[in-house]
Amino acid sequence: MQQKSKTPSLAWRLNKLLQINAMNLVILIVGVYFIWSITSSLIANPARYLPSPIAVALSSVDMLYKGLLPSYFSDTLVRLVVGSSIGLAAGIPFGLLLGINRTVADTFQPMMNFFQSVSGIAIFPIVVIWWGNSDTTVLVVILYTSFFPIAYTVLSGVREVPIRYIHAAKTLGASRYQIMKDVLLPGSMPHIATGSRLSIGFAWRAVIAGEMLAGREGLGWMIFTGQDADKTTEVILGMILIGVTWIVLDHFLLRPLEADTIERWGLVQR
Amino acid sequence: MSVLAIASIAVQRRFGRQRIRKLLLGSIPFVVLISLWHANTVFEWMEPVFIPPIGDVWDAIFLLQEDCPGVGAAIALDNNCLMSTHVLSSFGRVILASVIGLPLGIAFGILAGMNRIASKFLEPVGIFANSISGIAWIPLAIVWFGVGWVTTLFIMLNTIFWLMFFNSMMGVRGVARVYEQSVLTMGGSRWDVIWHVYLPGAMPSIISGMRMSMGFGWRALIAAEMIGGDSGLGFMIFTSAQEFKIEEVFLGVIIISLIFMSTDKYLLVPLEKWTIQRWGLVWKPN
Repeated sequence: MQQKSKTPSLAWRLNKLLQINAMNLVILIVGVYFIWSITSSLIANPARYLPSPIAVALSSVDMLYKGLLPSYFSDTLVRLVVGSSIGLAAGIPFGLLLGINRTVADTFQPMMNFFQSVSGIAIFPIVVIWWGNSDTTVLVVILYTSFFPIAYTVLSGVREVPIRYIHAAKTLGASRYQIMKDVLLPGSMPHIATGSRLSIGFAWRAVIAGEMLAGREGLGWMIFTGQDADKTTEVILGMILIGVTWIVLDHFLLRPLEADTIERWGLVQR
Repeated sequence: MSVLAIASIAVQRRFGRQRIRKLLLGSIPFVVLISLWHANTVFEWMEPVFIPPIGDVWDAIFLLQEDCPGVGAAIALDNNCLMSTHVLSSFGRVILASVIGLPLGIAFGILAGMNRIASKFLEPVGIFANSISGIAWIPLAIVWFGVGWVTTLFIMLNTIFWLMFFNSMMGVRGVARVYEQSVLTMGGSRWDVIWHVYLPGAMPSIISGMRMSMGFGWRALIAAEMIGGDSGLGFMIFTSAQEFKIEEVFLGVIIISLIFMSTDKYLLVPLEKWTIQRWGLVWKPN
């Protein structure tokens, strides 16, 4: 009788361990932690170039205690929410308008192409001259960056609504308004969701850049002044916060929202 | 029929009715905008400090290039040829960053797409690195490399690399296993699989990643030049704004947009279309 070996190979066990996702993440974080601390203990001037993880954690405690961190954080988030919601509110109707009428679309598309390739950051110097280093400046830059992606995706969404549905609605006597409300808007819903996620992503970058350049308090400003004041711990802390905030926002709010919208309104054509 | 009608029919036949219509309609907003701009100069609704006259913007090109000794100096990035130096140094960084960043990103992406264990570790790092957008790296890059070439190059590289990494990984994962298995069955080596299956299979995704990374990279580069650079178009518009030379800012913004638009339209979009035509997998086995 053949005896199968009971002890699985090391590679197999390792593989099994890696299949647990949380385990994976823990291994990764611990690994990064060790590599980071070893690197920072080996280089010449760690406080300036790469402070150890513990120093970064301590600085976060310090900033929390002073109440700076929550205030920066909320400032940045408020800017993102206000800027991107105005941008979306302006971009969605504009995209719908372009999608409905071919003449309007042909008229405005080349100009939109032009302005989209001027990134929000590039117009920043002009905006600064117009409005100075104020909150308006940051808001305008966010608006500008979030407007074009959403308008574009809504446009392509409206165009992808099958013409049959529009004809069907017209045959049944629907007015222009009804076609828009009952056919085009629901039909382009998945694109609106995708475009909003894209737009908010662009807006997030714009917020950080805007705060850095305009010197308004927030996370971007925190990492920028941290570099000026030689507080590298704050820079790294800010970067981690920026990354984590976006991951949380994207994976737990925007992506599920997008998936739900597509599930609810997505057209499966047969 | 009048001569005019005959001529218009001939023109329509030659260039295509739809194209002419699009061209004419598309030029309307530009014409309106430029006339408004000019009207502003004439009637002075807004001070010239805020909106410069069109002529000044045009003159700024020559003013910036005024002290240039010659073409040789312009190519050598002489400090007197401001205009060409800024444009060329931005271009140089874009090219250098793509030459280094694209192959690296593709290589790591294919590795992560092939190897489960590698992807498990690289993917979360990639997600995190992508969320810290290129711009947020600028302060740390300044601490590490100081203000100058290396910082801007690093920002651009960083942006390009992670986007390319993700796109090639997704591309490789989208390739059907059947192809890989058939190559292996016919006695192909691992290298054959990479070269003949993964790379061509992921090509459409890689090329659209390239287009995306150029878009993001170019934006990040402009921001990096503003904050941590000592040359380039971003640096030019930022310093001009600080000196309130608004005509130079307008000029820089227009040039940035034109460069990006033309590379996208005449290089990247045709490349993308061609790749999808050549390598796009239409047939998918279930």
